[in-house]
Amino acid sequence: MNTNNNVYTVIYTTLIVVVVAALLAFVSQSLKGKQDANEKADTISQMLTAAQFGTKAEFQKAGNAAVLAKYAEEIGQAFTINVNGEKVQDLDLTKVYSPKELKRQNYNIKGGANKTGEPELPVFVFKNGKTVVPIYGAGLWGPVWGYIAFEQDLKTIAGAYFDHESETAGLGAKIKDDPAFQAEFVGEQPDFSQANVFEIVKGGAPAADGKSLTDNKIDAITGATMTSQGLDVAIDTWLGAYAKYFQAAAPKQDCCGGEGCEGEGEHCENQEATEE
Amino acid sequence: MNAKLKETILNPIFKGNPITVLVLGICSSLAVTVTMKGALVMALSVIVVTGISSLILSLLRNTIPGRVRIIVQLVVVAMMVILVDQILKSFEATYAIDKQLSVYIGLIITNCIVMGRIEAFALGNKPWPSFLDGVANGAGYGLILMIVAFFRELLGSGTLFGIDILNRFGYVPNNLVILPPFALILLGCIVWVQRSIQKDLQEK
Repeated sequence: MNTNNNVYTVIYTTLIVVVVAALLAFVSQSLKGKQDANEKADTISQMLTAAQFGTKAEFQKAGNAAVLAKYAEEIGQAFTINVNGEKVQDLDLTKVYSPKELKRQNYNIKGGANKTGEPELPVFVFKNGKTVVPIYGAGLWGPVWGYIAFEQDLKTIAGAYFDHESETAGLGAKIKDDPAFQAEFVGEQPDFSQANVFEIVKGGAPAADGKSLTDNKIDAITGATMTSQGLDVAIDTWLGAYAKYFQAAAPKQDCCGGEGCEGEGEHCENQEATEE
Repeated sequence: MNAKLKETILNPIFKGNPITVLVLGICSSLAVTVTMKGALVMALSVIVVTGISSLILSLLRNTIPGRVRIIVQLVVVAMMVILVDQILKSFEATYAIDKQLSVYIGLIITNCIVMGRIEAFALGNKPWPSFLDGVANGAGYGLILMIVAFFRELLGSGTLFGIDILNRFGYVPNNLVILPPFALILLGCIVWVQRSIQKDLQEK
C-alpha cells in the first residue's frame, strides 16, 4: 500500500486524531468526579489548617473522607458578603471556593476588563468562633492563594495557610511548605483602617529571640522577593475587601490585652478557653 | 532472553544513558529534581509515557504516512502525557505530588527522549523490543533524576523523601542547591564520572 498517497494521509490523520480525542474526552469525563473531590478535600484541608485544627500533613495522611468529616463537624456557618461588609447570601455548608472561583472573585475585587460582577466574598465561621477567609493573588510564576483564620474578636489572626500553583520549590514554595512562615502570622492584628492592612517586609520583623513580633509585619522569605510581594498584595487586596465586614462584625467591647481595661468581659474568657 | 534484547534494556541505563550520553531531557532534569519524591513520580511518568508510546507507534509503524509521521508521533505522545496527568490527579495518594510537579508532567511531551527514541528505534523495530527500549530509556532518565534529586534534596533541604536527615544536626540548607544551575553542575559531575569510567566516550 502506498502510504504517501494524499488521500490516505488525510484519512489516516483524521482518524487518529478523532480516536485520540474521543478517548481523552471519555477519560476526562469519567475521572472528573474524582479530581473535583480531591481538589475540594485539598481546599477544605487548607481551611482547617489555617484554623489550626491540625497540620496539612496530618490531613493529607488522614485522607479525603476524614477531612470532609472533620469539616462537617466543625463548620458553623458560611455565607458571602459584598465589599460593603453586608451579607449577600448563605452558603451551603458543604460548598467551598476552589482556586478557580477565587480567581474570578479576585478579578471582581480588582475591577477592570475581566470583572464579571460585584464581588461575592465567602466567610466561613467555625463552631469554635474562628472565622476563615480566603486570599488570592499573583506570585512569581503563577497564582498564590490561601486562607487566613481570625480569632473570635475578628481582629487577631489565629492561623494562616498558603498554597501556590508553580512557585519555585525551596524558595517561593516556602509560603506553603514552611510552617514557620505561616506561624509568623499568628497573633498579628491587621490594620483594617488602612489600604495597606498588612506587610510582608524584608528583615527586621522577627524579634531578637527569633519569635515573630505582633507588629503587623511578617518577615519575607529569603530568595523569594517576588512571591513575598505577591502574597503581600494578595493579602492587602483581599483583607481590604473584607475590611468593612470585619470592622462592623467585630465585638464592640474588646478588653483582651488592650490597655486601660478594667476587668475582663465574658468574651475574653471565651477567647482564652479556645486558645487553650 | 537473547543478547540483543538484553543490550536494548541495559544500554540506556548506563552506556548509552539518554541524559549523560545522548544529552536529552536536560530541561526537566533541572526542574523536577528538587525533591526525591517529585523526581520519582516524574521518572515513573516518563517510563510509562516512553514505553507505551513506543509500543503504540511500533504497532502502527507500517501504516503511518511518512510525510506526517512526526505529527502522528506527537498525537500519540500527547495522548499518553494527558492520560498520565489525568490519572495522577484522580488518586488521593498522587494528587498532592501532581500539584507539586504542576506543568512539568504536561511538559513530558517536550522531553526529547520520548520523540527521540520513537524516531530512532520504535519506527524501525517490532513492538516488544520497542516497548523495552522505551521503558529502559525512561529508566535511564529516571536513574539520573534520582541521583541529582538525592544530592539536591539532601543539601538543599536537609531531607530525603521529606524525612529529616541533616537538619536535626543543625545543618543549614544551602539555597544554591535548590536553584536549577546547581542541577546543571551536578549533571556535569555525573558526566565527568561516567566518562572517566567509560574511556571510549572520551574524544581523542
